[in-house]
Amino acid sequence: MSNPTQSAHYGFAERWLPRLVLAPSFLLTIFFVYGFIAWNGYLSFTSSRLLPNFEWAGIVQYQALFASERWWVAVKNLFIFGGLFIGGAMAVGIFLAILLDQKIRAEGALRTIYLYPMALSFIVTGTAWKWMLNPGLGLEKLMHDWGFANFTFDWLVNTDMSIYTVVIAAMWQSSGFVMALFLAGLRGIDESIIKAAQIDGASLPRIYWKIILPALRPVFFSTLMILCHIAIKSFDLVMALTGGGPGFASDVPATFMYSMAFTRGQTGLGAASATMMLMTVAAIVVPYLYSELRGNRNA
Amino acid sequence: MGALAIKNVTKNFGDTHILKGIDIEIESGQFLILVGPSGCGKSTLMNIIAGLESPSTGEVHIGGRMVNNVAPKDRDIAMVFQSYALYPTMNVRQNIAFGMETRGVPKKEQDEIIARVAKMLQMDHLLDRKPSQLSGGQRQRVAMGRALARDPILFLFDEPLSNLDAKLRVEMRTEIKQLHHRLKTTIVYVTHDQIEAMTLGDKIAVMKDGVIQQFGSPQDIYEQPANLFVASFIGSPSMNFIPCHLAEQNGALGVSLQSEGEARFIALPQAAKLVGAVGKKVILGIRPEQFDVVIDSGDSLACKVHLTEPTGPDTMVLTQLNGVEVCARLHPRDAKGPGETVRLQPDVSKAVLFDAETEARLA
Repeated sequence: MSNPTQSAHYGFAERWLPRLVLAPSFLLTIFFVYGFIAWNGYLSFTSSRLLPNFEWAGIVQYQALFASERWWVAVKNLFIFGGLFIGGAMAVGIFLAILLDQKIRAEGALRTIYLYPMALSFIVTGTAWKWMLNPGLGLEKLMHDWGFANFTFDWLVNTDMSIYTVVIAAMWQSSGFVMALFLAGLRGIDESIIKAAQIDGASLPRIYWKIILPALRPVFFSTLMILCHIAIKSFDLVMALTGGGPGFASDVPATFMYSMAFTRGQTGLGAASATMMLMTVAAIVVPYLYSELRGNRNA
Repeated sequence: MGALAIKNVTKNFGDTHILKGIDIEIESGQFLILVGPSGCGKSTLMNIIAGLESPSTGEVHIGGRMVNNVAPKDRDIAMVFQSYALYPTMNVRQNIAFGMETRGVPKKEQDEIIARVAKMLQMDHLLDRKPSQLSGGQRQRVAMGRALARDPILFLFDEPLSNLDAKLRVEMRTEIKQLHHRLKTTIVYVTHDQIEAMTLGDKIAVMKDGVIQQFGSPQDIYEQPANLFVASFIGSPSMNFIPCHLAEQNGALGVSLQSEGEARFIALPQAAKLVGAVGKKVILGIRPEQFDVVIDSGDSLACKVHLTEPTGPDTMVLTQLNGVEVCARLHPRDAKGPGETVRLQPDVSKAVLFDAETEARLA
């Protein structure tokens, strides 16, 4: 104020320091995330095979993609897996959260036990479940050894059922996480609301169904978002558990993209499938972000 | 039998005794206040009346019926909570209708009841709003409306005004009292605020540590407190407690009071009850309004003013008697400024005496 050069100097630092600090990560993100997205997008319009080739080829890769039976199996699997996994994990998680919310003893320990699977990587989950579901090694062998000779549980190696083993493993991994989110939400509900509903004569299921769960709508949507992107990105679990097999029966778009781009020398096709996945995620996340940001501005 | 009878109710959580034998009985149409500091068990007692908790021993009768094993919904009660406990995803209309829906009241009748309640509480224009769109006072009103829609034999209010700001609290207090006059239902009202207790109640039960310290009309409790706790809890500013020795002088029983300026023996008119206590340490309880400013010296004491707190109609003057801070409620005209001296004469005819050890009332 009294010293103009000092205040000018201060203003300069105030204006430029944040930009300087943020610039490296900003540039890295621009280059490595958005740059590569753009590069991938361009590749999907070329006829690249084993090595990238930058000659514009129009939509041939998309035509090949949509003509590929394996791609449609992968897409169908994604819907089966996504639907059952999200619905199942949500239902189990909410149910566990409601049970844990009944002021029981040792709640902290139980909560940790249920949440623990989330601390494992999907690779570990996949491998462990692969052993358990392997007919010659796990559950089926155990039942045979116990004398139930006719027991069969061969989903892991059954072309029609292998995708459901992925659903089981993913639900096991994520239900505890959903539980933790909903438990936090349930804790935020004023206890006297439950008392008031009791005096109003509502049964406990009715209290949860009509009053408490509707009040948890925001938690419900956040959980849905998280589970959706877990489902769409799902790659490591499938790789570890079924490897996309038998054959390509349990392929999902992510494993499809990986095998095309990196093991079968179909870079262009892989790029096209990756672009399709990006579009799917964007179709879910963009409206969500939009509604969230707009909501915040109003609030 | 009355509208509500609580017979020797106790409540234990393990070794913790929350309620230690509560006995209360009120007539139909009475307004009962349960008042006490936090942790005194008043909310637990309320929950037991509502059926949200069960007593360890003892009986609760509502409308002449023993309800120990009756579920909350079948007790014919309605409750208003401190946090209002409105159902957040339902609008006001649905909030009021929820209980009726659960009880299977026909839709047409529901609409009539909602219209009647909304009119009574002047909230017709709020019916389609969500609780989050209402102010604190409006939410309170809706919570009351929900209770009124039930038309119960017993209303339970659990600190309903504690979350409101001071001005609104006074308005709603009046409104609750008017409502009670109009409806003539029995109300049990829990509060920690002694002003609410005094202004609203027909009967007050002052509680502490799970025991009812005194049960009586507001005036009784104000003028004839049963012990030191009740005397200190009811009244604002609080009653002054002056430690002294009971002595006999010239055939009269009394206590000696000492201000910074002078000491004086003050004879007590309640002497008959005090004969056995001569020489004992006692506590003289005098309400702030029981001091008069006098000119002549009579029984008065010259007191040095430490601080004044003008409230408008009265001025609180803080001074010292027998080494403790004493507050006198004086007319602003008589109050002096800090550092000045004022002659105060205690009106001992209404004063009360407590045993310094047991804190029980002597006279």
